[in-house]
Amino acid sequence: MTGKPIRLTQTVKGAGCAAKLAPGDLDRALCGLDLPVDDNLLVGLERADDAGVYRISAELALVQTLDFFPPMVDAPYAFGRIAAANALSDIYAMGGTPKTAMNIVAFPAKTLDISVLRAVIEGGLHTMREAGVVLVGGHTVEDPELKYGLSVTGFIHPDRILTKKSLRPGDRLLLTKPLGTGIACTAIKAGMAGSEITERVTLAMATLNREAALTMADYSVSACTDITGFGFLGHLAEMVVESGAGVRIRSASVPVHPEVLEWAAMGLIPTGAYNNRTFRGKFVTFARNVPQRLQDVLFDPQTSGGLLIAVAAEEASDLQQALLKRGVTDTTLVGEVVAAPQEMILVE
Amino acid sequence: MKELNCRGLACPAPVLQLKEMFDKGTPAAVSVIVDNEAARENVSRFLEHKNFQVVVEPFGVDFRVVGTASAGGCELLEGSATVASPGAKKIMVMVGADRLGHGDDGLGAGLMLNFLKTLKEMGPDLWRLVFVNNGVTMTAEGAQAVPVLQGLAATGVQILVCGTCLDHFKLLNKKQVGETTNMLDIVTSMQLADSVINI
Repeated sequence: MTGKPIRLTQTVKGAGCAAKLAPGDLDRALCGLDLPVDDNLLVGLERADDAGVYRISAELALVQTLDFFPPMVDAPYAFGRIAAANALSDIYAMGGTPKTAMNIVAFPAKTLDISVLRAVIEGGLHTMREAGVVLVGGHTVEDPELKYGLSVTGFIHPDRILTKKSLRPGDRLLLTKPLGTGIACTAIKAGMAGSEITERVTLAMATLNREAALTMADYSVSACTDITGFGFLGHLAEMVVESGAGVRIRSASVPVHPEVLEWAAMGLIPTGAYNNRTFRGKFVTFARNVPQRLQDVLFDPQTSGGLLIAVAAEEASDLQQALLKRGVTDTTLVGEVVAAPQEMILVE
Repeated sequence: MKELNCRGLACPAPVLQLKEMFDKGTPAAVSVIVDNEAARENVSRFLEHKNFQVVVEPFGVDFRVVGTASAGGCELLEGSATVASPGAKKIMVMVGADRLGHGDDGLGAGLMLNFLKTLKEMGPDLWRLVFVNNGVTMTAEGAQAVPVLQGLAATGVQILVCGTCLDHFKLLNKKQVGETTNMLDIVTSMQLADSVINI
């Protein structure tokens, strides 16, 4: 082993969630598939929600999801932690509790030492231990570029499933983590991010949405999703489409990792941000005074982002306080659900 | 005209190469060839951020982004008070009282006035002056500091005056310089500033 620490971001072309297949392409691959039917399938592919949900009994349903991607940070252990947190997040976003997970690994055994894979998996286990999730197995393939993630199973009560689609006009929108990880990871890849911001963003991505999910269970939440590869506006658009409602966002309130706005102005923006804008731009109207750099951040693909929670107006302040008290310290009120204009996001 | 061929380069390489070129010395004009839309957008943003005029044209199946240094006069984005003049740092000074230091109030008031008069030496790096608590009294009718602050405002320094504080001291309609502001703008300013000085 040489003395210099490995820089995983230099071994891959695309960084993290920014490596997602372009949404338009994905849409064309999936649209109109002939899917098997089952009465116990409560949430499936057509619903395009965060996870699949299958009823086992009147009180119990299974929740299933998976996520994996190439590294967005340089240290193997940190990469493992983040990829696992990202995968578990979808279960929390549905209101479920994750229980078992399996590793998904693609590894360039000819160019990276196997100790790197060991460190990545140890990072994954760190997150799984925090979440009370057991590792039950995994699968590995040889591949020119490293990729890691998890396939996850969890449980939920069938009556308490939180989907993306049930927005209520009047609800307030809370976001639990700052935006900008895609842009920050691009800066990290470019070698332009100092150690302090790298550590701060790494910790934010490695943080589970567990506390946020546990807290919101006690409130009148109409819809919830987690912010990942489609960016804040991409995931918000998923909530708005076919919901019959619209959304107003106060852009000045949206929390953003501090250095990110400057990096966005400089053009350190991942390709995924442009893909997200192309795919969902028609659902978004920006007010004239929203600067380009902020618009870019709002489409920036996130890795292991926070939860976007739609909660009844009269409970919004209490839920925000409860989240802050529980350690979800970046929770911010970012907007509200409106009756009109329907199926449009107004960013002011 | 400096030229860069960024075909086949994965993000963020095109912007990085451009940055390296600029670090060695700002070119008068630069032409960058890129082969994808994201790189085209990012290179354009980088050059616009450096206050260059940017023109994009098709170049076979690729794109050619041409940036030319502006002669002078910088175009601020409409309504975007966060854009500083090119190359300048954004220094925010938070003025929390109407005097500087403790021990003797008379001396403190004189020092504060002198401080405000000397602030112009920061040149274009001085971005925002924020007044809170009894600091707001210096922006009101009759205060000695008013002409000094008006002079700073005329050179482009943004002056923000806390509305809650003006109200508290019953000076809401006596303010003579600066914009009335709220805590959200103050906190956002701190986040956007390159450095924050607390007086």
